[in-house]
Amino acid sequence: MDEPLTRPPPKNGVEMRLISAVACAVAALIVAGSPAAAVALDVVTTTEGLASLVREVGGNRVSVTSLSRGTQDPHFVDASPAVAVKIRRAQLLVDVGLDLEVGWLPGLVNVSRNADVQPGGKGRLTAATAVQVVEAPTGPVDRSQGDIHPGGNPHFLSDPRRAEQVAQAIAAKLSQLDPAGAAQYEAQLSAFDKKLAAARRGWEEKLAPIRGRAVITHHRTLSYFLDWAGLTVAGYLEPKPGTPPPPSHIAELVGIAKARGVKAILVENYYDQRPAEVLAKHSGARVLSIPGDVGGAPEAKDWFSWVDLLVTRIVEANR
Amino acid sequence: MRKLLVAGAIAAGLTVSARAQEADTPAPRPTSEPSPQPTPPPGHVPQAAPTAEQQSDRAKLEADIARELGAAPPGPVTPGARESAPAPQAPAPGPAAPTGGNPFARILLLPDISAVGSGALSWNDYDIATRSPREGPWSDPRRVTALFQELELGVQAVIDPYARGDVFLAFSDEGASIEEAYLTALTLPAGVVVRAGKLFSPFGRINTQHPHTWELVDRPLAWQRLLSVEALGGPGLDVAWLAPLPWFAELHLAYQTVEPAALSFAADAVAPGAARTGVARLVNFVDFTERLSVGGGVSGALLENGEGWRDVAGADVYLKYRPGPSKTYLALQSEWIWRRSRASAEPRSDWGVYTQAVYHVSRRWGFGGRWERAPGVFDGAFGGAEQRWSGLASFAPSEFQRLRLQGGWSRLPAGGDGLEALLAVEFSMGAHGAHPF
Repeated sequence: MDEPLTRPPPKNGVEMRLISAVACAVAALIVAGSPAAAVALDVVTTTEGLASLVREVGGNRVSVTSLSRGTQDPHFVDASPAVAVKIRRAQLLVDVGLDLEVGWLPGLVNVSRNADVQPGGKGRLTAATAVQVVEAPTGPVDRSQGDIHPGGNPHFLSDPRRAEQVAQAIAAKLSQLDPAGAAQYEAQLSAFDKKLAAARRGWEEKLAPIRGRAVITHHRTLSYFLDWAGLTVAGYLEPKPGTPPPPSHIAELVGIAKARGVKAILVENYYDQRPAEVLAKHSGARVLSIPGDVGGAPEAKDWFSWVDLLVTRIVEANR
Repeated sequence: MRKLLVAGAIAAGLTVSARAQEADTPAPRPTSEPSPQPTPPPGHVPQAAPTAEQQSDRAKLEADIARELGAAPPGPVTPGARESAPAPQAPAPGPAAPTGGNPFARILLLPDISAVGSGALSWNDYDIATRSPREGPWSDPRRVTALFQELELGVQAVIDPYARGDVFLAFSDEGASIEEAYLTALTLPAGVVVRAGKLFSPFGRINTQHPHTWELVDRPLAWQRLLSVEALGGPGLDVAWLAPLPWFAELHLAYQTVEPAALSFAADAVAPGAARTGVARLVNFVDFTERLSVGGGVSGALLENGEGWRDVAGADVYLKYRPGPSKTYLALQSEWIWRRSRASAEPRSDWGVYTQAVYHVSRRWGFGGRWERAPGVFDGAFGGAEQRWSGLASFAPSEFQRLRLQGGWSRLPAGGDGLEALLAVEFSMGAHGAHPF
């Protein structure tokens, strides 16, 4: 190998340009593929609400991607295999759990080639493990009860008390995966807790005048929120989870709404609004179309503005 | 007992965070909730996050252990890098053990079990057995016949920290068979997943799908005519590599033993008996926008065929468009298959294609159609081409049952045509499977 390397013959211009263009493209791909220097963890969440909490606690040390949009029904996210590529690169996958994502997440995780984020992997955090779960069936369960969640109600993120618990679990997980950033996560969690405490005082003051009021919701999406807000549920538009209401059920709700003085029918904007509108017309209550998650409405930019929007609209409708 | 379990679950959940105990834990209002005063379950010690120094010690220890075990030492441990085995897991949302252990432990370890049953009322005005031979469901000419198609029993579970297992048994009037039964190794390096066992070959799109995930009631004609089996598959090994690209690009290489059916009309093209088979497939999926996903694949297979070989090639495209956040979507799917046999004295080649479009108006209703072209069968031998047009109306009262009405009109190779109609019902029970994409 001591022979001097012979210089290749000069390429013609077009060829050189082509080669340099390809080289640039490859370099661009490599740069695009590698995370920025400051980012220590690549986090993927199933919902935008979870992504917002990870952002609050992780700050600039994490990059966060949500697999679904706040405008989508989280039970029915239509995720193509292309989404699995996002999971492949993730060091942490945060899901809600309680079978909320059972229709779409397991298949993506299976093809993701990421052993850490498999159920039981060290890069997996199921938010439900951090909160007290309600509406877990205590008797026999079958699907005559509709498309129920046998593990309990998974719609806990709009409840500030549960959100705080989830944020704590996220901070603990981030510190475990990125020990160098533990102090920063701890500080950001404290900041989040303070911000949350202040926000809660404001929200609870606003909610005080309407405490005890009854509302009707479409699905059991607001059980935790309404429990925190001090409101009760007079009925659900779905006679059983996942089933659309027949006229007889709406007629029954009309009677209930009138008897209990229901002023607001809360429907996430990804559901069919017609049953609620029909019920509103006959009962005198108002339809309140609400975002189901962060990103479900332009104003709901992050977790705080989402909950703020829910509180403000519900208070207005119940005045 | 139940309350104890719930209290244990809460405790387990709270220990996820070392801070949880000192935090202002909200007392939940629901009266069914037990006292939220958490006590860590036995054996679960909250761990402080390791420092960087501890991590590097850990890496060194791992390397030492690997050497002692005679394995290659692992690379340096970076935060978030994969460990040699998944860490022992955080508590599941289920109950943690109170004193005396969990009496339901055995139930928790049961695999997911599901059953999908399907049947149809069938009517056709021509003799499908001789003029358009294929798999069911179909009936004798001009007799409305009730047919049981299949009961598929699925048993699925994670086997150990490294692999999962999936078993699908099919029961029909012809008897019971193992549709698929395979082990999937999920923790291999370099983006590789390996499946071993009896499996559908990674060839085309519909070949790997179980009947309950099809949009239409029956499989396209081209399948049985060109592959000489209902679905290409058999015992073997499938290695799938996910390329490190910004989109989903997966390359499959499989080696299997496939048992083609003995088709009287295909004697010159397909030799019966077990055939060693090699399959390759490249499949891509790209989300162009939040609303538009497109997939495309090319497949090739080489099958032993008596003294010689049979070549099969295929190409498939799939497009899904969602006009909004509701459950409305349009799904387009098309596949093309080509076959050449080199077994007999004179090599012959045939091809077939189908294109289908189904518009799911809502979660319950869907409407669509399919056009297809396949080698025809005439006088007990391949000859000419058969074209078929089918229309579909689908109604799913819930995610767990589906009613479909399908009508078809076939133009047969020897002139003449045939009408057919199917009213199919399908139900599933047990563990909730993933929605097919």
